[in-house]
This record gives sequence, structure tokens and C-alpha cells, in this order.
Amino acid sequence: MTRAQQTISIALLVSSLYLSLYLELIPLPALIQTAIVPVLPFWALVSFGAWVLFRLGWGMLTFHDTPEAYKELMEEIKLAQADLRAKGVSVD
Amino acid sequence: MAPTKTTGKDVYSVILPTFNERQNLPIITWLLNRTFTEQNIDWELVIVDDGSPDGTQDVAAQLVKLYAPHVQLQTRTGKLGLGTAYVHGLQFAKGNYIIIMDADFSHHPKFIPQMIAKQKASNYDIVTGTRYAGDGGVYGWDLKRKLTSKGANIFADTVLRPGVSDLTGSFRLYKRDVLEKLFQSTDIRGFTMQMALAVTAKSQGFSIAEVPISFVDRVYGDSKLGGEEIVEYAKGVLQLWWST
Repeated sequence: MTRAQQTISIALLVSSLYLSLYLELIPLPALIQTAIVPVLPFWALVSFGAWVLFRLGWGMLTFHDTPEAYKELMEEIKLAQADLRAKGVSVD
Repeated sequence: MAPTKTTGKDVYSVILPTFNERQNLPIITWLLNRTFTEQNIDWELVIVDDGSPDGTQDVAAQLVKLYAPHVQLQTRTGKLGLGTAYVHGLQFAKGNYIIIMDADFSHHPKFIPQMIAKQKASNYDIVTGTRYAGDGGVYGWDLKRKLTSKGANIFADTVLRPGVSDLTGSFRLYKRDVLEKLFQSTDIRGFTMQMALAVTAKSQGFSIAEVPISFVDRVYGDSKLGGEEIVEYAKGVLQLWWST
């Protein structure tokens, strides 16, 4: 099963579930039927957008910079160049 | 049972596609040699050069001599692309494990023993370096670059849900037969190849583990991330979503 098939199947499932609520095929308390069910899709969309933005922001906050790795690498490059030149490899 | 010197020892082949890497190649080879020798690992390096005009092949020949018998050079006559370079190199690799990485020090060989250990721990099919999990990280990115990269990762992660934290990472250890199988069934063109390999691997049921790495980007000023690349990336992700 491809990712597309999986996503579309789940989407169809959720849609038909929602449709059964929207078309009042399942009895619900009046308040939920009139005030919550109609706005559920929009709420889901906004929540999803907020979740993605949160992940992005969190990723920026916790992004790990590695200056030590850079310094270590620069040292190693110098070591390598010296060693290689001594062994006759052309190093710029 | 008395311990015997096993002839079925593990050999790790690093396949390194190069184009104009005359300055970096000797140093990355030196680092590889140091890491593998220190850890007493049987290794080889397959350099696949696409006809570099800057003398990369001359330096490669010197390295073949210096580090014999570990280094071999395979040349191609033109810039034929990264994916096909790996396939080409794989033909000549003798190892039962294949390591792919970049030649510009963004991937440091010191993480290879960690990947090997991780692979051995639970016999994973693939181990990939990750910049986004554990204490993985990056040096040399400004905020814009970080945003683009993390944004792209979140996009791919949401659409594909691959279970791998760094989808576009190209520092990986593969079991040889797994990589051969993946090359047969994956479209290996374009820079979305790494992503395609990981997603295809997941869908074929191969196990992937991750090792945090530090990615030192010294060429970030020369940004290869234009609008065109972003569109191609999005297309690549959607293509994978549809077909894998």
C-alpha cells in the first residue's frame, strides 16, 4: 500500500464519519449538532496549521549548532595536510 | 570453541563520488584511513570521479598508492550524476557493507564507528546519520537556511511519515544487498535520491536506525537552494507519496 493509498483511505474514512454526523445520521445533542459539528473541519484545519507552525518554531528553538565540531575539523585538516605533504601527496 | 581468524570478516566500502574535489579528497581519505585503522576495521574506498578537470584524478592516483590496497579509483567520462555514480561504484566495491557520504567534510568519518556499532546492535539494514535528533546538529547555517531545511523536513515528514528524522541526509551505512535491491527499485536521479532511498527502504520493510551527527557546512554561503530547487523538492516528495 502506497503512502497515497493510505492517506486517501484514511481521509475517506474520516470524511464519511464526519458526513454521518453532519447529515444527522447519528443522533447527537442539539447543541453539539448545531454549534460544533459544522465548524469541525475548520477547527481541524486550523489546529493542523498551528501544529505545523509549532513544530517549525520548536525546531528553530532547539536547533543544535556545533561550533566545536567546526574547530575540531579545522585542526584535523591542518594535521592531515602536514602528514600528506610529508608523504608526497599534493595538497593545496 | 576456539576462536578462529574468520575469513568471513566484515569489509566496509566507502563509495565517494567526486567532481572537482582535488583539495578535499586527500584530507577525507586521510580521515577515513585514520578512523578505520584506529578502530581496526577492514575498509576500502571507491572513488568515482566524473572526469574532474581540476586534477582530482591525479591526487586520487597518489592516494591509491599511499593507502594501498584500500583505495581504488574508478573514472567516468562526464558529469553523469550522483545516483549513477553510486551504482557504478557499487560494481567495484568488495565490501559487504556500503557507506555513502559527501567528500566535503560535512560528513565526518568519526561517526562511522558509531554507525557500525549501531548496525551490529540489532542487525539493522540501514543506519543513517541525522542532523535533527539526539545531539545531532549543524555548523554554518543562518536562520533562513535552518528554516528552509526544517520546513522541508516537516513537509516531507507530514506527507510521507517515514519514521526517519533526517530524510535528506546522505551519510548512510547500508548492507550491501539491501542497497543493491534499493537501486533496482528506486528512481535514482535528482537530489531527492536520498529521500527516495529511505522511503523505498521503509516501504519494503527494511529496518533503519539513526545516529546523531554534526554536519559542518563550510560552503553554505554558496546556497544551492533557489526557488527552482524547492519546487523540485516538493515534486519529489509528492512523487514519492504517490508511488511508494
